[in-house]
Amino acid sequence: MTGFQLSQQIVCGVFVCILMTSSSTAGDPPLSPRIDELIAARSAGQSPAPLADDAEFLRRVWLDLAGRIPNADETRRFLDNSDPNKRSQMIDQLLAAPTYAERMQELFHVVLMERRGDNEKWKQYLRTAFEQNKPWDQIVRELLNPDAQDETRHGAAFFYAKRIEANGQNPIDHPGLTRDVGRLFLGADLQCAQCHNHLFIDDYKQRDFQGLYSVYLNIAAKNEADLPGVTEKPMKKKLEFVSVFDPTQNETGPRIPFGAEIPIPEPAADAPADAAPVSVLALLANEFPASQNVLFSKNIANRLWFVMMGRGLVHPLDLHHSGNPPSHPELLDLLAAEFVAHQYDIKWMLRQLALSQTYQRSSRYPVESASVENSASAVDAEAILPQTYLVANEKRMLAEQLLHSTLQATGNLERLQQPTEEGKPNKELVDLTTRYVAAFANEPREPEDQINPTVKGALFSLNDDTLLQLLSRQPGNLIDRLLAMTDENLLAEELYLSVFTRRPTEEERSELAAWLTKHCERREKAIATWTWSMLTSMEFVVNH
Amino acid sequence: MNQQQLCKPWEHRSSRRQMLGATAAGGLGLGTFLQPCVADELAKNDKQVLLIWLDGGMSQLESWDPKPNTEFGGPFRAIPTSVPGTHVCELLQHTAKQMHHLAVLRSVCTQDNSHSAGVARINRGDPKNRGVDYPFLGSAVAKLMGPTSSGMPPYIWIKPYGGGFKASDAGFLGAKYGALALGDGKPPDNLLLNKSISLEENELRNELRQKFNDRYAAGRRKEWTDANSYVYELAQKLMDRSDLFDESSFTDKDRERYGKHELGRHLLLARRTLETGVRFVKVNSYHWDSHGDNFNACDSLIRQFDQPFAALIEDLHDRSMLDNVLVIVMSEFGRTPKINSHVGRDHWPEAWSIAMAGAGIKKGVVVGKTNDQGTFVDGQPHDIGDLFHTWFKAMGVPPDKMEYINRGQPLPVAHDECGPIAELLA
Repeated sequence: MTGFQLSQQIVCGVFVCILMTSSSTAGDPPLSPRIDELIAARSAGQSPAPLADDAEFLRRVWLDLAGRIPNADETRRFLDNSDPNKRSQMIDQLLAAPTYAERMQELFHVVLMERRGDNEKWKQYLRTAFEQNKPWDQIVRELLNPDAQDETRHGAAFFYAKRIEANGQNPIDHPGLTRDVGRLFLGADLQCAQCHNHLFIDDYKQRDFQGLYSVYLNIAAKNEADLPGVTEKPMKKKLEFVSVFDPTQNETGPRIPFGAEIPIPEPAADAPADAAPVSVLALLANEFPASQNVLFSKNIANRLWFVMMGRGLVHPLDLHHSGNPPSHPELLDLLAAEFVAHQYDIKWMLRQLALSQTYQRSSRYPVESASVENSASAVDAEAILPQTYLVANEKRMLAEQLLHSTLQATGNLERLQQPTEEGKPNKELVDLTTRYVAAFANEPREPEDQINPTVKGALFSLNDDTLLQLLSRQPGNLIDRLLAMTDENLLAEELYLSVFTRRPTEEERSELAAWLTKHCERREKAIATWTWSMLTSMEFVVNH
Repeated sequence: MNQQQLCKPWEHRSSRRQMLGATAAGGLGLGTFLQPCVADELAKNDKQVLLIWLDGGMSQLESWDPKPNTEFGGPFRAIPTSVPGTHVCELLQHTAKQMHHLAVLRSVCTQDNSHSAGVARINRGDPKNRGVDYPFLGSAVAKLMGPTSSGMPPYIWIKPYGGGFKASDAGFLGAKYGALALGDGKPPDNLLLNKSISLEENELRNELRQKFNDRYAAGRRKEWTDANSYVYELAQKLMDRSDLFDESSFTDKDRERYGKHELGRHLLLARRTLETGVRFVKVNSYHWDSHGDNFNACDSLIRQFDQPFAALIEDLHDRSMLDNVLVIVMSEFGRTPKINSHVGRDHWPEAWSIAMAGAGIKKGVVVGKTNDQGTFVDGQPHDIGDLFHTWFKAMGVPPDKMEYINRGQPLPVAHDECGPIAELLA
C-alpha cells in the first residue's frame, strides 16, 4: 500500500466519522421512506391514490424543480426509458441542471417579496445563492444583515430596503417589516401582537413583536442607483410599550420572537471614541437562524413541504402555534431535525421529498372505486382531505411557470430565451412576462399559496394578442411542426406530448382526427384552436 | 402611537387564506342555508343592489338632516320635498323632488371616527368580533345570492382611478367573491373578443376547453375545476355585454341630466350595469372629507351627488326597476355639528343619516331623529348592524335562516345582537 493510498483511507475514515457525529440520524434509513410511513400512519384507514404514472410524475417534477414542463422529445425519451431508476435519475438530473437555480430564484422571489417589485441585484443574489446551493441559515443571515461592502451579497439588502422605502406620506412600514420577518422565517404572523398579547393565540405575546420591532426602528433604506441598501443607527435604549388593554409600562430590548432578550451591546470601556458601534442587526442575524430556534427550522421545512406537496403540514404557512397543530406533528419534527442535521441543505431536502411516494402519488383518485354504487367502500376524491396527502394536491402555477410552460408547449421557448446581441433579454419575453404577471399574479403583499382563477386571467387567455400570437405558425414552433405532419396519429401524439406531457388516449386521438377532418379547409386554424383549448384547460394551468 | 399602525379588529383573524378552500368548496353562488326551502326561494330572486359609497363622511347637516338657524346649522336653508312635512338641505334640490321614493334614517349612531376603522366597519356591517375577516356588503350579497338569472358577474364596482379585480372586499369568503372593478368606468383589459377569432370559433374553443376540463375533473376534487369554469363563464358574459361600456351610446339628454363629472358618468353607467342584471353594483366617490371649508366643499360635492342621484331614482322608477333594486347611500360616518376653526366639520359617528330606496323599502319616510342641535340621536339610535339586517330582509335574504360556514364554524351573516328596523321596511 502506498503512502498516498494509506492517507486517502485515513482521510476517508475521518470524513465518515465526521458525518456520523455531525448527523444524529446517520445510519437511520433515508428520509423519503420515513415520510411515507408517517403519512400512512395517519391515513385513518383511507387508502391512498395509486402512484402517478410516468407522465404525471414527469410533468410535476419538471414544474417543481425546473419551473416549466419538458418538451415533447424529453417526454418521449422518459416515457420510453425502461430503467427502473429513471425517476430518481430524473430528479437528480433536474437538481443539477441550470434551470434549478432559475426556478428557485423565481419561487423564492415570490415567497420573499410577495410581488412588491423586482431588482436586478436581488435576482442575481438569489440566482447565485441557489447555484451555489447556499444553506438556508446562511441565506437568512445574509438577508437579515445585508452587507453593502460585499459585492456577492449586495442584492440581499432588497429584502429590507423594498419594505421600508418611502411611500408618499405614509409612515415607513417598520411594523410591516417586523411582521414579515416573523411570518417568513418563523411561520408566525405577529401582526395582532403589535398592540397587545394576541387574543386568540396564546403563544404570541406583545413582547415578541416589540422586541423585533425595536431593532427595525433603527434601520432605514439607503438605495443608491439600482443598488439596494440599508443603514443602521446604534440602539441606545430599550423600547417602551404598553398594551392597549393594560396601561402598565413595559420595555424590551432586541429580541428574536419567542426567544430571550438580547442585551443592548455596550461599547467596550477602552474602545476609541470613533469605534464603530456594535451592530444589533448583526447580533440578530447571527442568532436568528440558530438550530436552537426550533420554529426557524420548522418554518422552512414546512414551506419546502408546501412547495412540493401543495399544502403545509402547518396550514396556513404563517400560523405555527399550539392552537394550530401540524396535521402530522411527528413528520414536521422529523423534517426539521433532518434539515438541521443536513446543514439546511435545500437541494437535499427537495430531493428527499421528490423521492417519496407521497410526492409521487397521482392527483386523481381511481374513478372505478368511486363509481362503486351503494358500497360502503365507495369513496371519491372529495372525501379525501388535502391534509391527508393520500392524493396529490393540485398546486398553483406561478405566472412565470405558466408562461415558461406555455412557451415550451407552443415551441417558442428556445427562440425567446435567446438574448439580444447586446446580451439583453429578448424584448418579447420581457413583455410577455409583464403581461403574465399582470394577468395571473396576486396583488402585491398577497401570498400566492392557493390556486386562484380570476375573470382577469380568463379575459387575458381569451383575448390577449401576444398569447394568441404564440399559436400562429412560425418556423420550428409547435404549429409549424404539426402542419408538416400528414399522419393524424403522429400529429396527435406530438401535440399531446408537447402540451399535456403525455400521449393521447385512443378517444382523444379519434376526437382530434374527427375535428381535423371537419375543419380540413382551415387546418392551421383548427389546430391552433384545439391547442388553445388545451392550454387554457385545467390540465395545463395547474400543477397536478 | 401612530393610529395607522394599530391593528384592527378584523385583522384578529386566524387567516383569510386558510378559509379559501373551505368556502370555495361550499358552492359557487349560494350561501349555506339553515332551511333548504330558502335556497329555492333565493334561486328565483332577481333582486339587485346599488350601493353609493361616499368615501369619507357626507355631512348630514348639509344633506338629509338640516338644522337651519341653529348654532351648528351652517349657512344653507332647508327646503320642502315631495313628501309633505319632510325637509332636506337645499343642496339636494333635485333629490327633494324624489323624496316620495326614499327612506331616510336620521338616527344612525356608529362607533368609529377614524377612516381606517370606519371604512371596514361600516362596509362589513360591524360583525361581532370572531377573529375572522368579514366580507363587505357586495361580496356578502355575491356569496349569499350569487349572480342573477342574467349570469352576469355578481359584483361590479365602478370607481375612480384604477380598476382590476379587487379581492380584498371578499374577506374570508375568498377571492372569488371579490369585486370586478371598472377603473374610471372603463372596461376591464382584454374585454373585446380578439379580432383574429370569429364568434363561431370562440364558441367552439370554449366548448373544447370545457370538455377537456370535464375529462380532467373525473376522479379529482371538483373545487378548482369548477372555479376555473366559473370565471370563464363570467368573462364570456362580460364580453357578450361589452356594449355596457360604450359611453357613446348614452343620449345627450341623459348625459346632461346625470352631469358630465365623474360621479354623474359613473352613476349613469351604474344604471346600465343594473339593466344588464348585475346583482350588486358599487359606485364610489372619494374625498368626502371637509375638515376645512366645509360649506364650499358641500356646495360642490353634494350638488355633484344630488343631480345624478335624483336622475337615477327617477329612471329606475320609470323603468319599473325600483321595486327590484335596493339603492343605498352611505359613508363612513357623519360630520361634526361643531364647526371647527378651519370652517370645517370633522368626523362624527354619533348622529348621522343614511338614505335608501327601492326593493323592500318603505317609500317616503323619515325614521329616527336627532336633537334640536343635531348633536346626538334623540330616541333609539341605530348602528350599522341593524341596517345590514334591514337590507338583507328587504332583499329577501333571511339573516335568521342563513349562515356562512367558515372552516366548519357557522357564522351569522349579520351581527347577531342587532335586528331589522321595521319602520324602514315596506
